[in-house]
This record gives sequence, C-alpha cells and structure tokens, in this order.
Amino acid sequence: MEVCTKMTKKTKNIIVNLLPFISIGLFIGFWFLVAGKPSSIIPTPYEVYLRVVKLIEKPISHTSIWGHVWASTKRVLFGLLLACFFGIPFGLLVGWNKKFRRVFKPLFELIRPIPALAWIPLLTLWFGIGESSKIALVFVGCLMPVVVNTYSGVSLIPKLNVDVAKIYGASNSQIITDIVLPSSLSAIMAGISTAMGTGWIVVLAAEMISAYQGLGFLIIRGSNVSDLALVIFAMLLIGLIGSVLSSLLRFLERKLCPWKVEIKN
Amino acid sequence: MDKNKIDVEVTRLRQEAKRTTQKTIIIGTLSIAIFLLVWQLLYSLKIVDNSRIASPIQVLSAIGSKVSDPRPDGNTLFQNIWASFKLAMVGFFLALVIGLPLGLLMGWYKPVDKFVRPIFEIIRPLPPIAWIPIIIVLLGIGTVAKSFIIFFTTFVPIVINSYTGIKGTKQVYIDLAKTCGYSNWKVFKTVGVPSAMPLAFAGMQIALGNGWGTLVAAEMLASSEGLGYMIFMGRNFGRIDIIIAGMFVIGIIGLFLTSIIDRIEKIVLKWRFVQK
Amino acid sequence: MESRDKKLEIKNICKIFLNKNNGYETAIEDVSFKVKENEFLVLLGPGECGKTVLLNIISGLLKQTSGEIYIDGKLSKGLNSEIGFVFQKLGILPWLTVRDNIAISQKFAGVKKTERYEKCQKYIDLVGLKGFEKYYPHQLSGGMKQRVGIARAYAGNPDILLLDEPFGKLDAQTRYSMQDEILRIWNENKKTVIFVTNNIEEAVFLADRIILFSKQPMSVKENYDLKEMKRPRDYTSEDFLKIRKEISDRTDLVIE
Repeated sequence: MEVCTKMTKKTKNIIVNLLPFISIGLFIGFWFLVAGKPSSIIPTPYEVYLRVVKLIEKPISHTSIWGHVWASTKRVLFGLLLACFFGIPFGLLVGWNKKFRRVFKPLFELIRPIPALAWIPLLTLWFGIGESSKIALVFVGCLMPVVVNTYSGVSLIPKLNVDVAKIYGASNSQIITDIVLPSSLSAIMAGISTAMGTGWIVVLAAEMISAYQGLGFLIIRGSNVSDLALVIFAMLLIGLIGSVLSSLLRFLERKLCPWKVEIKN
Repeated sequence: MDKNKIDVEVTRLRQEAKRTTQKTIIIGTLSIAIFLLVWQLLYSLKIVDNSRIASPIQVLSAIGSKVSDPRPDGNTLFQNIWASFKLAMVGFFLALVIGLPLGLLMGWYKPVDKFVRPIFEIIRPLPPIAWIPIIIVLLGIGTVAKSFIIFFTTFVPIVINSYTGIKGTKQVYIDLAKTCGYSNWKVFKTVGVPSAMPLAFAGMQIALGNGWGTLVAAEMLASSEGLGYMIFMGRNFGRIDIIIAGMFVIGIIGLFLTSIIDRIEKIVLKWRFVQK
Repeated sequence: MESRDKKLEIKNICKIFLNKNNGYETAIEDVSFKVKENEFLVLLGPGECGKTVLLNIISGLLKQTSGEIYIDGKLSKGLNSEIGFVFQKLGILPWLTVRDNIAISQKFAGVKKTERYEKCQKYIDLVGLKGFEKYYPHQLSGGMKQRVGIARAYAGNPDILLLDEPFGKLDAQTRYSMQDEILRIWNENKKTVIFVTNNIEEAVFLADRIILFSKQPMSVKENYDLKEMKRPRDYTSEDFLKIRKEISDRTDLVIE
C-alpha cells in the first residue's frame, strides 16, 4: 500500500511540473491554429521571426530596433527621474510637516484622481507633439504614485524610531535625513516601481498618438498597415523591457534596503 | 487630582483636538480657494496666453452647457459619461468574475497555478495600451473591443492581488480547520477565501483605477463617444474648457467608483472594521 | 548629602488622555517618589498600568498633565541629554550596523566617524558584543539586539538610565541571562537606573528598591527597600520567596 501511494505521489508531482509546458504548448498550438487559416491576418510565430529579421535589415523611420527601444526607454527614464526629483521631497514634506500637509495635500488630492492618460490632450496642447510633451506626460504619470507612496511611507514610520532619535539628541533636520528618509525608503522604492509601470503605459499611449520613434510608434505603424508581425514583435519587446526594468528596480531595492528583504523572509 | 482640575484639563484637551481639525479644514479650503483664484487671475489678467488655458469659470460653464449641448464632439455630457461607464463596468465585472476565482484557485491549488502561470506571465508585463491596436485590427472599434481592453487591464491586478491574498492565509487557521476534519476544498472556502478578501479588494481598487485610465486612452484612439473621446475632441477643436472640464469629470467619477468599492468592502468585511 | 538622596524627584505627576469615545482616561493619578543617585530602582506594576507613560514623561518624550520633574534639584522641561532610554520594542534602526546604532548619540552631536567608533568601542565590549560591530540588526538574536539598545543608551554617557521592560520580549532563558548581564554592566559602570517591569521575580532579583504601582489610574502603592538583600540574589532562597509573596499579595490583579 505504501509503495502504491508513493508512486502516485511521484507521478502526480511529475504531471504537475509538466503543466506549464502543456499550457505553453497549447497556447502556441492555438496560435498556429488561428494563424494558419488562410483568411487569417494573424501571423504565425515563424512569420514574426521573419519580420524581425527584415526589420534588422530595413529599419523603420531610419532607426534601428534598439533606436526605437531606446527612444521609449529614454522618455520613461527622464520623466521618472523628474518625478522623483520633485515628488520625493514633496512627499516627504507632506508626510512629515503638518503645516505643509494642510496647505498642499488638498491641492494634490484635487489633481490626483485624474488618470495620467487623461492629461494627454492638455499636455499635447501645451507642449506640442514633440519630445517635451511625452516627457511631461511621463512626469505627470509618475509623479502621483511617487508622491503618494512617499507620504504614505512617512506616515507609517514607527513612532519608536522618531522617539529614539529625539532621546539621543537629533535636531529636526537630522530626524528627517537620518530617520524619516531611511524609514520610508522601501515605500519610496515601491512608489518608484509603480511609477515605472505607469510611466511605461503613458509613454506608449503618447507614442501611439503621435511619434516617429519608439515602441508605441511601431505598434501603431504596424497596425495601420496591418503588419501584425511588427505589432506582435513590438509587444514582445515591450514585455521584455518592462520585465528587465522591474527586475533592475527590485535589485536596486534589495541593495538599498537589505533589512526589508530579511523581514519578508 | 481633584474633580475640578480634571474637568479643566479634559475640556482643554477636547478644545485642542477640535481646533486642530478645524484648522485642517479651514487651511485646506483656503488653499483650494487661493488656487482657484490664482488660476482665474492667470486667465483674466492674460498672464498666461488665453489660447492655452481656460479659467475655472469657463470650465464650470463648459460642464453646464455640455449637459445639454452635444457640440463639438457629438454627444452630451451624460451620453459620454454613460458610454464610458458602461464599458468600464462590463470590462471590470468580466475581469472580476473570471479573475477573482482564478487568482484564488491559483493561490491555493498548485496544478492550477502551474497551468495558468506561463500564460499569465506573458500577459502581465504587457501594458494594456499595447493591446489596443491589435484588438482594433481584430475586433474593430466597437464596444466589444474596448471592453476587451478594459478586461485585460483590470484582470491582471485582480488576479495578482487575490493570489497574494490567499497565499498570505495564516497557516495557523489552515491547521485549525484541518484538525476539524475539513476537506481541502472546505478549508479553501471557509479560511482561504475570507483571508484573501482585503487584498482582493485592494486589487479591485487598483484594477478600477487602471481600467478607468486605460479606458480614457482607448477612447482617444478609437471611439466616437465617451469621456476620453470628449477631451480628445476638445483638443481638436481647441476647446480647453472642455478638456479641463472633462479631466475633472473623469477624476470625480474615478473617485466615485473607488468609493463604491470601499463601501462594498466595508459591508462584506464587517469583521475587519469593527474594532476601528 | 542631599543631592545624593535626590538625583531624580518625581512630584505629583498626573496624566490624562482623551479616549476614542470622547471620554477620558486617567493614566497616572498622582505619583510622587524620589530616586537616589546610582541606585537600581525598579518600578513594578501590572501590565498596562501606565509605567511606560511615566517613563516617557520622565524622559521628556511626553508632557505631563500636571506635576514636576526635578533632576539634580533643577526643574526638567522636555528632553534631556542626561537621560538614556532602553525601549521595550528595541527601536534599533534596521539600516544601521551595530556600531552605528550604538554611536548614534555621538553622530547627532556631530562627532566625527573615527572618533565616534573609538569612543563607542568600550560600550560594545561592555555589553559583550565585541566582534559584531559591523553586523546588521536583522542578523542578531533578540537578546543581542537588546544589548545594542543598552550599549546605545550607555554610549550617550547619561547620568540616568531608563529601561522600559527591556527583557519582556525575550524567551525565558535569554531573559535570565540578560538579568545577570544588566547587573554586571551596572556594577562595572554605575548609573542611576530606573527599570520598569511587570515581573515580580525580575524586580526582586534586580532591585535596590522596588516601587509597587496600582493598576490604572496609576498611583504608588508600596515601597520595598531591598538594599540589605545580598547580591547575587537567589531565586529560591527563603528571603527571596518571602518578599516575592509579600509583593504578590499586594499587587492589583488586572483581571478581577
């Protein structure tokens, strides 16, 4: 009896571990099926591969693939950096200083519910359709999560840490730099992580509406001429870059806040 | 301490607390009022080019007129609101009905997780916006296409959060239920699912926020009605008052939707809020 | 003679808080006592009776509703660099090493890094953490973390040391060894100590003098002078058990 149950458990384990491959297989099979039909406009995976090869030879808009990737990434990074530069100090002040909070939090809460993408018409009106409007859009999109996470992080600081600082003689500014900032660091990192996601979404939307370079542009270009292989390739790239960037952020968080990781464990 | 002194002190503390809340409200209101004033002055005194800005008064009157006037985008305000709201709800509910159980099951049953995971991980990193063109090519620019996009947007956070929520179920409770002789399914129902609810609701909030934003963008790219379409048209016609009015309406409705989920959460999760 | 007798004087301290239902609660009723220089005073009371509130008031973190605190005969208002505090919940900053945590009072005072580390080394040795200078809190056990807290308090060179149930979160074994440790440290480096606990055994083991408090609203119930009891104290000796029973009988039960 014992041997019997052990066998079933082992086979069960094998089956369970095979499942991911089965589902991927089904997915690809489904893809081939849908793409294989003669009237279908969906390209097969092989066709996507061919398209990529062609793209390397004949760049679109005089820009290589990496040029497009960099165009989008550049906009996200700039916008994100700007958002951190203004947003983190603002969030720290709102979280820490009662007077500042009373004046500025209501104003912020007025602007906050407006989704980032809803800013597109206004910002394109103000900044035109060039680089600056896209970076402005990313800035707005990233600013909200960064500020919100920062001031939430500050509000969650254990009072104990502040008491410790006071007892051992910290001045007000020392409390901010030595206690408030490190204590809220992991919340700030979470905010940056969220902002990165939002920034990416926003940049794609902006590029889809008007751009000559970038991954969003490739998607629109592809769909305009029914070149779905290009669209699919661009989407895969987006997914890839997104994953890479968020892994980088997680790595950064682990480096900056090693103690938080330990607590999670 | 004698009774008198105690009364004096308590009254003092109460007044202090009252004053603090009053101060917050007054300063907040003042700050918004000053903001509106400065904004209005920027327009009236032409400090900012009037073709690039609309005054608060103009924004308000745009809202007022849009209630009955279908110009310039072809729909009245409420038609636009309803169009957007409809789509958001359909997409969201679909995502909820499919995503919530899926996330819970994935978190509880390993085979489900192993099976669904790879496909989910392919979908997850892709911003929903990126799906819009493909879906338009495949499904046109109708309601179905847009609901699909909202579905994608809202699906991911709901699944992730219910998954994380149920994974966080305290082992103590699971063990307790098992010693009562519950089957795995029963433990799932009575212990796992309730434990996951707070995070699941948080996921719904995120989903709705994201979904609402994506909807606005989708409407800009491919629609003839809806709030996103309205502000997009506003830009095309140079009607900044409509743009800003639309932005605020979008924001307010977004808040409204979020607060509904809050209310529902408070009712469903009564046990969590009692002590507060 | 006088200043030796009155290192610290707590006079008629009261503290009232507003509570959630718009009512109020009197955390501390009317508490007065004196603390002698370099004595090991234990404040003993049932859980949740207000001892932490009292310590916070003495340290200056919290303002009292009425009453005064005198240190060395002078009125004390607010925070005081003469006072070191060891917190119940440790309060060790997770992003700083052991060394940086202990040296923190020096850092805030503006002392340069190398000088700080030099000065604090002896405190690291004092609490028995030599070799762990560069470790981070999450790499330490509960007892070790509490030792960091104690070293940190000592490093500020205070005259008065406040300890708020510092061993409450430790397991029994560690707790016993930490009790020995704190006495050893105190013997090597005499300071005025006010030690708060709800554990009668711990109080009798450690104290020169015990002040027993009632449950909330807190007031002084009884004063026990244990100066005559020989150290190190024996948990099982007749004297010990006698005092223990006496105090136990006198203590308010929280659940009645």
